[in-house]
Amino acid sequence: MENSSKEDYRIQSFDIETQKLLKTALKGQLLQFHKPSAVDLEKVSNVIVDQSLKDQVFSKESGRICYTIVQAEAKQSNGNVFRRNLLNRMQKEFKAREETRSRSIQEWVCYVTFMCNIFDYLKVNNMPMMALVHPVFDCLLRLAQPDALQNEEEVDCLVLQLHRIGDQLEKMNEQRMDELFFMLRDGFLLQQNLSSMARLLLLEILEFRAGGWRLSETAHKYYYSEVAD
Amino acid sequence: MMSSRHSSRHCDGGRTYESPVSSRSKGSLRWSCSRKRGLDGSLRRCDGQEKADQSQRCAENRSSSFTTPEGDGPMSRCADWASEVEQEEMRMGVRQDVQRYRRRILTADFNERERKTSSGSSECRDSPIPADMETDEAVLMRRQKQINYGKNTLAYDRYIKEVPKHLRQPGVHPRTPNKFKKYSRRSWDQQIRLWKVKLHAWDPPVQEGNDLQAIDEMDLDDVMEIELEACDSAESEENTQCSKNTKDTASIPADSCTGTPSKVMKTEANFDLS
Repeated sequence: MENSSKEDYRIQSFDIETQKLLKTALKGQLLQFHKPSAVDLEKVSNVIVDQSLKDQVFSKESGRICYTIVQAEAKQSNGNVFRRNLLNRMQKEFKAREETRSRSIQEWVCYVTFMCNIFDYLKVNNMPMMALVHPVFDCLLRLAQPDALQNEEEVDCLVLQLHRIGDQLEKMNEQRMDELFFMLRDGFLLQQNLSSMARLLLLEILEFRAGGWRLSETAHKYYYSEVAD
Repeated sequence: MMSSRHSSRHCDGGRTYESPVSSRSKGSLRWSCSRKRGLDGSLRRCDGQEKADQSQRCAENRSSSFTTPEGDGPMSRCADWASEVEQEEMRMGVRQDVQRYRRRILTADFNERERKTSSGSSECRDSPIPADMETDEAVLMRRQKQINYGKNTLAYDRYIKEVPKHLRQPGVHPRTPNKFKKYSRRSWDQQIRLWKVKLHAWDPPVQEGNDLQAIDEMDLDDVMEIELEACDSAESEENTQCSKNTKDTASIPADSCTGTPSKVMKTEANFDLS
């Protein structure tokens, strides 16, 4: 599990009502006399999903928040209303992903980021949720298609997700990871209209996986020597 | 352990999400061409006729559960991710239970044999693993689900608080049926029924609607304040079982206003709440 960014997400960016809702949810909101109604938890999960689809910074962090709430609900009332609703929303968005992509690349990218973040954080008995493996691969494979590789935004999203959860995904289904990387190699070699940045990102991820989901020191120097630590 | 790359297009597998690119029949053709045999074991022909047959089979003969060679065990059909995850979770729980139970039986058995040999008995136990233990995962999962329904009630909650395990008297106090023992389906279902009936003795008394109304009128600020106050006072580790969300007309005992359980507070992420 990759360590999340150093900046914790600021709750102030939400409107007041949402802030309150999130605060209560995070403090294990579930007071004895204020029963966590199913409606509240559903509301919270919808707020989180909606925000994740709009805000890329948030979509990288929301996994952690969701994990906290799921744990809290499980411990406090043995329920899983929150998780259930979260997954239902995610599944709905998944079915409509092609539409989302044609409407807004930004939203599509946020969705994938969110989905992968959930995959990373929401474990079941310390194992990733099996139900998400194929859908995640479907999303990544979509990002590896020629029309998507043309957009730096999408390539960037793709490589970021692979950095974060690539090794876990591969363990769950090596065959599909191979499939993905066939496409990435093809894209890198054959696609004419890739920007040089896109090529750089693809080359790096190819090396990254080849190195067992780690970059050798020299490779790291090549790709990241200009980047401030 | 996952199935081949084409199985995501399965029309009769556990996954029902659609690929945006292929239609159902196109997907199944692609799938079926990579498989030598059909569902019933007969050799397939990779042509249009097969496709028609297959989609028809898909629609009609869907059994309630299926097993795939690469799967972990029998799976019931899940239309959605949430159910899949819940089932996965339950299966893992059941497997852990199986291990625990086996160890317990082994230890008990071992002690039994120790006792017998030390007392000079010539009898000795042969197989340490209980031969008559239920191990069929589908059965265990079903039974566990039934047990969960019973345990996820206010009555059960109140019961376990009132009567700790060591004070339970057989016959007097309800006892959770042991899912690992071999019973016929009828016998098991009957045990569950009787158990739940007995648990009703701990149902909470029905209260007026007034209490609940007052609570709804509180706004979140009040709620936050009270919570923070309560957090200051000491709370015990045992106080993790608060209200259950299964019964809406539940009463809320006036003396249960303790703070957020310490377990929950520890799970807070380092999320800036200022």
